[in-house]
Amino acid sequence: MFGLPVETALLLFGFPLFWILYLGVFMYVSRNWDRDAAAEDDAS
Amino acid sequence: MSGTVILFLVLYYVIVLGIGYWALRRGGGEDLEGFLLGGRQVGPIATALTLQSTSMSGYMFLGAGGLGFSQGYWALWYAAGDIGGGLLNLSVIGRRMRKMSQMMASLTSIEYLEKRYPSPAIRLVAGSLTVFLLGFYVLAQLIAGGKGMALVTGIPYPLALAIAVGIILAYTFMGGYLAVAYTDFFQSLVMLVGVMWIVIAALSELGGLTAANTAIRELDPTLLSVWGKGLGFEGQWGVVAGAVLIFSIGYMGWPHVVTRHMAMSRPATARRAGLWATAWSLLFVPAPYLVGILAILILPGLDDPEMAIFQVAGQLLPAAVTGLVMAAIMAAIMSTADSLLLQTGSIASRDIYERFINPDASERQMVWVSRGLVVAVALIGYVVALVEPPTVFSIVIFATSVLGSAFLPAYVCAVWWRKANTAGALASMIVGATIAFAWEYAGLVATTQLHPMFSGVVCSTITMIVVSLATQKLSPVPPHILDAMDVASRVGPIPDRYLAATEFELANEAAAVGRALGEGRDE
Repeated sequence: MFGLPVETALLLFGFPLFWILYLGVFMYVSRNWDRDAAAEDDAS
Repeated sequence: MSGTVILFLVLYYVIVLGIGYWALRRGGGEDLEGFLLGGRQVGPIATALTLQSTSMSGYMFLGAGGLGFSQGYWALWYAAGDIGGGLLNLSVIGRRMRKMSQMMASLTSIEYLEKRYPSPAIRLVAGSLTVFLLGFYVLAQLIAGGKGMALVTGIPYPLALAIAVGIILAYTFMGGYLAVAYTDFFQSLVMLVGVMWIVIAALSELGGLTAANTAIRELDPTLLSVWGKGLGFEGQWGVVAGAVLIFSIGYMGWPHVVTRHMAMSRPATARRAGLWATAWSLLFVPAPYLVGILAILILPGLDDPEMAIFQVAGQLLPAAVTGLVMAAIMAAIMSTADSLLLQTGSIASRDIYERFINPDASERQMVWVSRGLVVAVALIGYVVALVEPPTVFSIVIFATSVLGSAFLPAYVCAVWWRKANTAGALASMIVGATIAFAWEYAGLVATTQLHPMFSGVVCSTITMIVVSLATQKLSPVPPHILDAMDVASRVGPIPDRYLAATEFELANEAAAVGRALGEGRDE
């Protein structure tokens, strides 16, 4: 891909893909954090 | 240098000074929480971008380009970890640290450590270590800023240094953390636009990425490998692990970076900040390394690899855009230098002066003491930077490794591990810092093929676990801290009992008195 050896292409594109997947998992796991903010708004 | 380039720089300086004045008007210097943490009112985008731009210094425009030029695609191991560094930081400790720091009424990341691991020794060791290491780090940024200015404008180095230091000092003095956070926000955008422009220009010049890689292959195929020029790093997984870890998990141990969590407008800010931090990093982080790699073809006779990005910009871009790129380089340096300056000044004032010298100082006095110490650190930095001590840069290279090794387990375990106690944290800091220092100075990198950061973090983590478990009876984690950890782990508002600023300090003092009385009875 792009004239690169396979392992270099994996390094170039694999890590960004890993972090995007990590972000997806984080956004899913933290989906109830906004309730934290809503609770604070109610309290104030 | 052309007038257009200088015009861009002047415009850039006027904007950052304007932001400093705006922060002052917005109350950035009214009280101590306002000066040190921007009144805990920084939103997700500004949090994400100040976190990222503080983490990424002038190294991204000098060292990263140079590494790409010298080692080819091997340099991308550093980018691989760096892309997720901010996200990892926000997702692992962001929300909990924000909550705990408010419950503990902590205004600096060192004060936070003392309240989580109650002992003056924690503050003394952590504060001294941080002031010493950040002091060297800020010095290197000032030197880089002065040299960058001198190069761009052609004015003598001492005057260029004075201008660079003066501008950083002016907006930090005026608006404290709020000024630093919002100038960082602006500077991160300048950095992004500047570096993207060079990448696009370089790829256009070379006919695209595939054509460039084909040409590099003809020159030296090992430059396309993941093991560096001449396969010099082949099989050295310890070095690769260190390269990935230093900028991914390493950020969680940097006191000037984790302070960003404490200043978020609310704990949930960490979620959206993680999204913005990742978006910015995906675009920005690989770019300087890539420009360095492309410079192999554009500048085959380049003598100093660290000048790769400067030279590519100068060769391919029109004067107006070069001005933007130069402003981006100054932005990268200044956005780190301002945070370091503020952190060094605030830790010296809050964690050393107020804690050990004048505990009765009023809020107003402390704001001025913090400002005074920021000025003092800047002036000392200026004088030393004029001399340009030759060892500064070599110390800076591993200052970040030492910081990460010393503090990473302490910050992570503070919110995640209920058994992490004072003895474990203190031993972990001392062992982590010592190992990272020794690894570099004793030449163990070459012998073991392990990065100092990797060795330091492994040793400090093991120390934290072993010492904490071994001293549970001798030094138990006080119940009020365990309760605070439970509250921080749950989604929901902070209970009223924690909103009184004195609550936590009284609980710590009561625990200390209780321990003293208990010890007395045992005797």
